[in-house]
Amino acid sequence: MKSHVVYLTGGSLISLLLGIIVTIIIPAQDPAGPSALARPYTALELQGREIYKREGCHYCHTQQVRAPEADRGMVHEPGDIGPESAPGDYYYQSPVFWGTERQGPDLAHVASREGRGDNPAWHRVHFANPRAVSPGSVMPSFDYLAQAELDALTAYMLTLR
Amino acid sequence: MMPGPEPGSAGRRFLYSAIFWLIVPGLFGLILATVLYVPSLYDRLPLALKPLLSFGRLRPAHVNLMIFGWLSQAYAAAILYIVPRLTRARLYSERLAHVNWWLWNLMVVGAALTLPMGLTQGREYTEMIWPLDLLFVLNIALLGINIWGTVARRSEPKIYVSLWNFMAATIILIPVYMVGNKIWDPSGAFTGMTDNIVNYFYVHNLFNSWFTTAGVGMALFLLPKLADRPLYSHRLALWGLWSVWAGQHHQLYSPAPDWLEYLTVVFSILAVVPTTAFMVNFFMTMRGGWRRAADDVALRFLVTGALFWALTCVQGVAQSFRSFSLLVHFTNWVVGHSHLAFVASYSFWAFAAVYLMLPQLARQPVYSRKLMEWHYWLTTVGMVVFMVSLWVAGAVQGRDWLASNGPFMDSVRAMQPYFAARLLGGLVAGLGMLCFAFNVWQTSRRPAPELVPALAAGGGGGD
Repeated sequence: MKSHVVYLTGGSLISLLLGIIVTIIIPAQDPAGPSALARPYTALELQGREIYKREGCHYCHTQQVRAPEADRGMVHEPGDIGPESAPGDYYYQSPVFWGTERQGPDLAHVASREGRGDNPAWHRVHFANPRAVSPGSVMPSFDYLAQAELDALTAYMLTLR
Repeated sequence: MMPGPEPGSAGRRFLYSAIFWLIVPGLFGLILATVLYVPSLYDRLPLALKPLLSFGRLRPAHVNLMIFGWLSQAYAAAILYIVPRLTRARLYSERLAHVNWWLWNLMVVGAALTLPMGLTQGREYTEMIWPLDLLFVLNIALLGINIWGTVARRSEPKIYVSLWNFMAATIILIPVYMVGNKIWDPSGAFTGMTDNIVNYFYVHNLFNSWFTTAGVGMALFLLPKLADRPLYSHRLALWGLWSVWAGQHHQLYSPAPDWLEYLTVVFSILAVVPTTAFMVNFFMTMRGGWRRAADDVALRFLVTGALFWALTCVQGVAQSFRSFSLLVHFTNWVVGHSHLAFVASYSFWAFAAVYLMLPQLARQPVYSRKLMEWHYWLTTVGMVVFMVSLWVAGAVQGRDWLASNGPFMDSVRAMQPYFAARLLGGLVAGLGMLCFAFNVWQTSRRPAPELVPALAAGGGGGD
C-alpha cells in the first residue's frame, strides 16, 4: 500500500511537471519580440490600463482577433474588427486582456475605427452614457469615474490600434 | 489536556458557511442577469452604488465567491465527513480543521470585500489579490494535511478511490494555483503571450485538479451510499483519476502557437477516457436501481448531476474542435457551459452530499422533505431554462458574427429575449437555492438531542 501512495504522489507530480513543461515552459520560449503595433506605454496610458483592469472591461470585451474573422468581422463597418492578433501585439502587456466573452465588440484595434474609436471625444461621451451613443448597449455607465480617470482610460483606448 | 473539539464540528461549520456563500454570490448573479436584460438600470442607480454594482466588478465577485466560497467549502465539508468514514479513523486534527475553517472564511470575506472595490489581479479565476492567494494555498495545504494525516493512520487497509482523488486533488492543486497565480509576484501576472498561456493552463487545470478530481471523489463516495449498492468497478474508478493537460484548447485560432493548439485538442480527446470510465461505472452501478432516485432527492441530485456532467464532457470535447470553437467561442454559449459544469454538475453533487451529511452533522432529520423536492425541481428546471437560453443565444451570436452582415450592436440587441429567459431561469433556480438554505437553517436550529451512541461512533454514516 505504501508503494501505491508513492506511485500516486510521484505520478501526479510527474504528470503535472510534464504538463507545465509542455504547455507553459516550451511555448514561453517563443521569442516573438514586439510587433509593429506594440509600443511601451506612457504613465498615463498605463494608469488607464489599470482602470480598464479595475473596472473589469475585459469581462465583456476581448482583445483578440481570430484568424478566420480577421479583416472580415464587423463592428460598425465590414472588416473593421481589424487584422489578426499576433503574439508580438501583447509584448508590453501585463496582464494581457484577451478576454473570454464578447458582450461588447472586440477592442484589439478599437482606435483604428474612424469617427468613433479613434476619437477621444467619442470615448468620453460613450463612457459616461453608452446608450446615448449606442442604443441597446448593455455597458455600465462609467459616469462614476473621475474626469482624470476617464482621461487616462481614453488615453489607453487610443493605444489599441 | 483540554478536550478537543467534537468530531465532525468543523465539517458542520464548513457546510453552513458554504451555504451562506451560495446565497450571497447567487444574489450577485441575479443582479448581473438583471442588468444585462435592463441595462438602463445603470443610468438610474444612485452614484454611490454604481461602482459596486458595475458589471465588471460584480462578475468576478460572483464567480470567485461561488467557486471558492460555496463549492470549495462544500467540498471541504464533504471531505472532512468522508475521509474519517472511509479510513475508519478519527480525523487527523479536528482543531486544525477549525483553524482551516476560520482561515477559509477570512479569505472568502476578503474576496467579498476587495473584488467589488475593484481590487483585482485582472485574470480569470485569479482575481483574488496576493494576500488572499497566499491564504488559499495555506487553506488547501491545511486541508491536505488533514486528508493525508487521516489516511496515514487509517484502520481500514483498502484505500477507496475517493481517498485517492482527495489526496491527488490537494497535492496537484497547490502547484497549479501557485503557477497560475504567479504566487511569487504580488502583481500576479506574467507579461505578453506567456501571461495567456499560463492563465489558460491554470483556468483549465483548476477544474481538472480540484473541482473535477475532488468532485468525482465525492460522487464515487455518494453513489454506493445513496444507491445502496456496491460500486460496479473500483478498478475502473481509479482510471478516472488521471486528468489531462487540456488548458490551451481555450485559445483555438488565437495567436498561441498552432502546435500547442493541436496538441491540446489531442489532450481534450484523450479526456474521453477518464470521463467515459466514470460514466460507465456510474450507470452500471445504478443499473436496476433507478427507481430509488425517484424517491430519494439526494440520489436524484447525484444522478442528475452525473447526466449534466456527461453533457459537460461532450460539450467540452466539441468545443475543443476548431470548427465548433470558431462558432461559439466568446459567445454566451460559454457562459452556459461554465454554469453546466459548476452548477448543474458539481453543485448538484454537493447538494446530494449536503443532504447525506446534514442528518448526521445536525443530529436531526432534514427539516422538510417537501422543501427538498422544491429545491430539486426549481433548481433543475431553472438551470435548464438558464443554460438552454444561453446556448441558443451563443449560437445566434456566433452565426451573426461570422456572417458579418450587420453592425455588432445588432447581435447585442438580439440577445434581449435570451437574456430575459436566462434571468427567469436564474430566478427560478435561485428560489430553489433559497428553499435549500431555509431547509438547512431550519434543520440546524432545532435543538440537537443527546448524543445517540450509534451516531456518535461515526462509522457507517449514510441514511
